Amino acid sequence: MTDKRPQGQQDEATVDLLIKQVTEGLSPAEQRALDVMDSATASADLREFERAAAAITLAGSAGAPRLPPALAQRLAVQADEHFAAISGAHTVQKVTDLGAARAAAASRISPPRAANRISAYGWLAAAACLILAIFGWLRPPLPTGPPVARVAAPSAAEQRAALLAKSGTLKVALSATKDPAAAGVAGDVVWDPATQRGFMHFSGLAANDPAVHQYQLWIFDGDRDQRYPVDGGVFDVPANAGEIVIPIRAALMVHKPAAFAVTVEKPGGAVVSSRDHVVALGALGATG
Amino acid sequence: MTASLLQRIAGGDSAAVRECIDQYGALVWSIARRLSRTPSDAEDATQEVFLDIWRSAGRFDASQGSAKVFIAMIARRRLIDRLRKTSAEPPMEPVEALEAAAWADPGTASETAIEAEQAARALAELRPEQRQVLELGLLHGLSQSEIASRLSMPLGTVKSFMRRGLIQVRDYMNIDAEGVSARV
Repeated sequence: MTDKRPQGQQDEATVDLLIKQVTEGLSPAEQRALDVMDSATASADLREFERAAAAITLAGSAGAPRLPPALAQRLAVQADEHFAAISGAHTVQKVTDLGAARAAAASRISPPRAANRISAYGWLAAAACLILAIFGWLRPPLPTGPPVARVAAPSAAEQRAALLAKSGTLKVALSATKDPAAAGVAGDVVWDPATQRGFMHFSGLAANDPAVHQYQLWIFDGDRDQRYPVDGGVFDVPANAGEIVIPIRAALMVHKPAAFAVTVEKPGGAVVSSRDHVVALGALGATG
Repeated sequence: MTASLLQRIAGGDSAAVRECIDQYGALVWSIARRLSRTPSDAEDATQEVFLDIWRSAGRFDASQGSAKVFIAMIARRRLIDRLRKTSAEPPMEPVEALEAAAWADPGTASETAIEAEQAARALAELRPEQRQVLELGLLHGLSQSEIASRLSMPLGTVKSFMRRGLIQVRDYMNIDAEGVSARV
């Protein structure tokens, strides 16, 4: 004896479950029912319905709102952490103590919103777990290649020199402003538009207490609203630093770099600078 | 161009990552806002979606569709998963706003993605009430039961409208892509 339904009716029931999965998800009981009916065909149909639902979503998303800039910056920081975890580059990125401090500061600027709801220690623990989880999740497909020898990371200064030697790299001199904190400051920015990498180079920039204030780089993009320059990263200057080289970590894609500015901000940096304390400025084309 | 963007992301290219956020951020944010219960949920969801994109970029196959559809699929999966894990609260948009979705004009939707144009053409052939069911379900994240209740429509009719609408869009996409008719 069999309780199988007619073929057409069974197909319709399967299609209804597939469509429900695509539109609102299935309950455990429905998922089990689909598993029973499941086949390679059902799996292919599911993908096609997903494509159709996505296409309708696109057709109904005309005039979508812009991504909030602060969220875009959090996404960029999260992406950096994700890819650093994959490549094991967290340690390699420690080009200098300044670079590490700057990365930590960047994390403080823009933690994921969910992280705001737990303590700082809790966030760090969660972030560590997440990185381990991501790394663990990605581990199985990776071990096909030969072992890679770990090499010493080049210093920030060496990386800057290599970038300068690359064609297409921009170099913009930074000039001190009349802000008291800017006295004696000189430097430049080296930026490669193709790879979106770059370095700041300073001498004479006063040491800061990270608990009181931090420096922040801003990149003015000719393609963006000039009221909202791209965050180029928060950084610190230790006492007696002399000449320093600091990696830039732009939070967003910079399409047409036009100018660079360094401001003094509260610890962790600002999402939108008040520009009360600008200590260095440089514009493309204004200097050699 | 877009295919190589996802390939570059799969290779860990940080410039491509920023380009992707720039290019698709509004799309993901739009989907997240519609299918989340609160603005903060939408922000969390957007971060989860982009993490999924970074993880899945290597699986993108341009022969299977555009990058936009690939990303919209990832976003929808994540958002639906989040919706199921949360309680049966209403979506964040008030009822009045549910009528406000802006459908792309079939003639111009190709600027968004070829699949959007195909969907817009298929939707244009549906009756208004069928289109409304798809809109409430796909754009605003209402369940079939919620749609039935809101439109005072039998659940069976909602299911039927949803089924026919999705099959029609799917068939348009299949015919355009391969010149063959759909299976079901």
